[in-house]
Amino acid sequence: MGSWMKMIKELTIRPKGERQIRKSPAYSFDEDLKKPLSGQTVKEILSKSSDVVFREFFLQGKDRIPCMLAAVDGLVDKNLLDQFILTPLMVDLARHPELTQVTLSNVVDKTLQSLLPGLEIKKISKMREAVDAILSGDSVIFFGNLTEAIVVGARGWANRGVAEPITESIVKGPREGFSETLRINTSLLRRKIKHPSLRIISLKLGDMTNTDLVITYIEKIASPDIVSEVLKRLSKIKMDAMLGNGYIEEMIEDNPYSPFPQISFTERPDVLAGKLLEGKVGIIVDGTPIVLVVPAILTQFLNVNEDYYQRAMVAILSRFVRYVGAFMAIVAPSVYIAVTTFHQEIIPTDLLMSISAGRQGVPFPALLEALTMTVVLEILQEAGLRLPKPIGQTIGIVGALIIGEAAVTAGLVSPLMVIIIGLTAVASYAVPTFDLSLAVRLIRFPLMILAGVLGFFGVTVGLYVILIHLLGLRSFGVPYTSPIAPLRIRALLQDTFVRAPWWALKRRPQLMDVEDPRPNGKG
Amino acid sequence: MERISSHQFVVLGSAVLMGTTFLPIASIVTEVAGRDGWMSVLPGFVVGIPYGLMVISLLEQYPRKNLLQISDIILGKWISKIIGVVYIFIMCYFGGLLLGQAGDIYQSSIMPLTPIGMFYLGGILLVFYLVKSGIEVFARFSEILFPLIIIALVLNIGLSIPRIEHGELLPILSEGIRPIIWAWLKVAPFAMEYILFLAGILTFLPTSKRELVQLKRGVWRTVFLVGFLNMLVVLIQILIFGPGETVRMVYGLLVLGKMVEISRTVAGVESVFLGAWLGALIIKAGAFFFTVTWGLETVFNLKGLKWNLGVGVIFMGIAFKFTRGPDLVMEIGLVDNYLILPFAAVWILTLWGISRWKGAGIS
Repeated sequence: MGSWMKMIKELTIRPKGERQIRKSPAYSFDEDLKKPLSGQTVKEILSKSSDVVFREFFLQGKDRIPCMLAAVDGLVDKNLLDQFILTPLMVDLARHPELTQVTLSNVVDKTLQSLLPGLEIKKISKMREAVDAILSGDSVIFFGNLTEAIVVGARGWANRGVAEPITESIVKGPREGFSETLRINTSLLRRKIKHPSLRIISLKLGDMTNTDLVITYIEKIASPDIVSEVLKRLSKIKMDAMLGNGYIEEMIEDNPYSPFPQISFTERPDVLAGKLLEGKVGIIVDGTPIVLVVPAILTQFLNVNEDYYQRAMVAILSRFVRYVGAFMAIVAPSVYIAVTTFHQEIIPTDLLMSISAGRQGVPFPALLEALTMTVVLEILQEAGLRLPKPIGQTIGIVGALIIGEAAVTAGLVSPLMVIIIGLTAVASYAVPTFDLSLAVRLIRFPLMILAGVLGFFGVTVGLYVILIHLLGLRSFGVPYTSPIAPLRIRALLQDTFVRAPWWALKRRPQLMDVEDPRPNGKG
Repeated sequence: MERISSHQFVVLGSAVLMGTTFLPIASIVTEVAGRDGWMSVLPGFVVGIPYGLMVISLLEQYPRKNLLQISDIILGKWISKIIGVVYIFIMCYFGGLLLGQAGDIYQSSIMPLTPIGMFYLGGILLVFYLVKSGIEVFARFSEILFPLIIIALVLNIGLSIPRIEHGELLPILSEGIRPIIWAWLKVAPFAMEYILFLAGILTFLPTSKRELVQLKRGVWRTVFLVGFLNMLVVLIQILIFGPGETVRMVYGLLVLGKMVEISRTVAGVESVFLGAWLGALIIKAGAFFFTVTWGLETVFNLKGLKWNLGVGVIFMGIAFKFTRGPDLVMEIGLVDNYLILPFAAVWILTLWGISRWKGAGIS
């Protein structure tokens, strides 16, 4: 009880002026990190965390050297630690008299050269390196009061392994997806591209979280300008926490106020490999299975990896359906509003009579009717999205069937409106990328209002505004609407609206300046 | 500094030259040349070729300079300033009239009860957004819209073919060749509008030797493509409506759009076609807005958002002055025939002539 009270007191009562210092949480910590490296200081810094373990022992060489191993329980593989670090140092050394030449002055080098058999092992001399290594899951061995230490890589923590990606499931193609562990993800990528030009550059972001991430690209294919731009933008990020790819996405995209995604993502190693072979750059963040890919262009959000595993003709048809679906998802409600409110002449007479009969008794104008139904649809989608799967399905059925049917029976909405909204919902599911479907959902509303106020003129103005906005967007210097505008005819014919057969893909689709436009670029 | 490629130059130029010329052209040429009016369309546009080539050759001589800056070098400061003021006035006035045309087309064809100011507002918003986004975005906008405009035009023409009456075209040349020449003069200002846009856009064009050749080729392609399409538009209207009705209907193509019917199911699709025509108008009005801003920057060093807003307000003011369709059409004709044609013809010929003469003198 007493220790609890002491802890609470420490946390709540602070001397005057401390608040100001705590404004920057990393401040006092940074001061400690500037001190010379010593096991004792590291212990002082980290001993308040119960998961950090310190194992003290003696190394019996010519001198009897006090040693300390520091590691985070749960992040290290205890078997590795016992077998390949503690046993050689504490047991094997005593059995080999020829090694008794170890003294305090040469212990670090002797340990590196002869005592520890591990692959990932290196000497360090800075406090920050030691603390970062321990907190990242490595083990650090300190020797007496030396200002040098040894880092041994013996990481091992619980992970869910390689599983099938949830957001990008396909029928015909590989089943493996990225996981939350960075090194597993890079190994999956390396298995796809076994070429020395695959570059994997490691970085750390987040003052507090110290998150590992890598930038990956293929030298000679990726434009050096884009690679350096990615590095430049990442280096400018200053934040305490980097808990996932979403943090980076907003910090490095070109136009943060646009509803359209300017950075694509994937959970699949085969997709990432394919994108890298097109000259793009991947950003893999530790702790998330989502890999960011830049630059991104609009049309790639409508293409899926399944296209590359299907026959070309089937892929072309699928793409066509997706493009039509996306267009319908954007304009279907607004066209309905414009037609029923302003342009009845466009409807054949029989259909007009049927629509008119359906709308009889509906007390709301088409605009209000459509807006209400679309908002209800959005609520249903949002409610169903984060609920457990069986409940989510129930919500969908209750919403779509029961509420829709009841609304029509009560005469609140016309049957055709329910069809239009249902069609819009189905069409929006044809948009394969979640980020783009969010943008589609967003831009639907202003278009509906414009349709209700100005008919087709309003819809046209709205669509042109969206078009101009899209044409002005860039992703890491690449025009977002490429290869349609600016026109790159080869890319357009090879892999945009259509997917040319593999034998016809003579050169890489040139959406940007690639260094080496050799044949069969896609992976 | 923004740049556009030679391909974008061709597409943007074609979109600007095309504009909405296809809407009134049939009425204009048929009024003068009767059923032979279609023959004057292509020659009328071809006038643009020598002038376009003159402008490109001036670019070759003075890279990265627009015609106002070149005038400053060739004709001196004060004369170039006067030319600049006239240029800005013409472009601003005509741009405002084009904005007015957007309102007129929509109100007269499909939305007669909506206040015309709403169309002006929608139009100027689009033009302003385009101008603010820069010439690269403008070029990309044309790259996307121009093919759609062509498709809409071809569809409109193609779907009207069943209504053709072959006898309407005969007898050919019954009035002789003179009416065709007069009609040709009525078409020439359309080409000159394009030339005046070229005068401003020069600073954004590539200037390497290879690309200059492509630009020159681009002028040829642009003029022939647009001239040919307009000729088809005139031809189909004469064939369907006959010369008398074609003259009477100022926007005959809109009427054709109304008449389109497919399998007794799809009808009255002119509101869909109008979406494409609005795009064409926005490109043309945007081109004139751009040239006004370039002119202001070159002549008076006035640039920035507030001046652009000012130009937008003037455009709106001019559009509001001509809310009656017939007045607007008459005014557009007057500006075309008595301002744009003589101004462009004399200015560019003079500049080119003097530059050649000076060049010859130096050599």
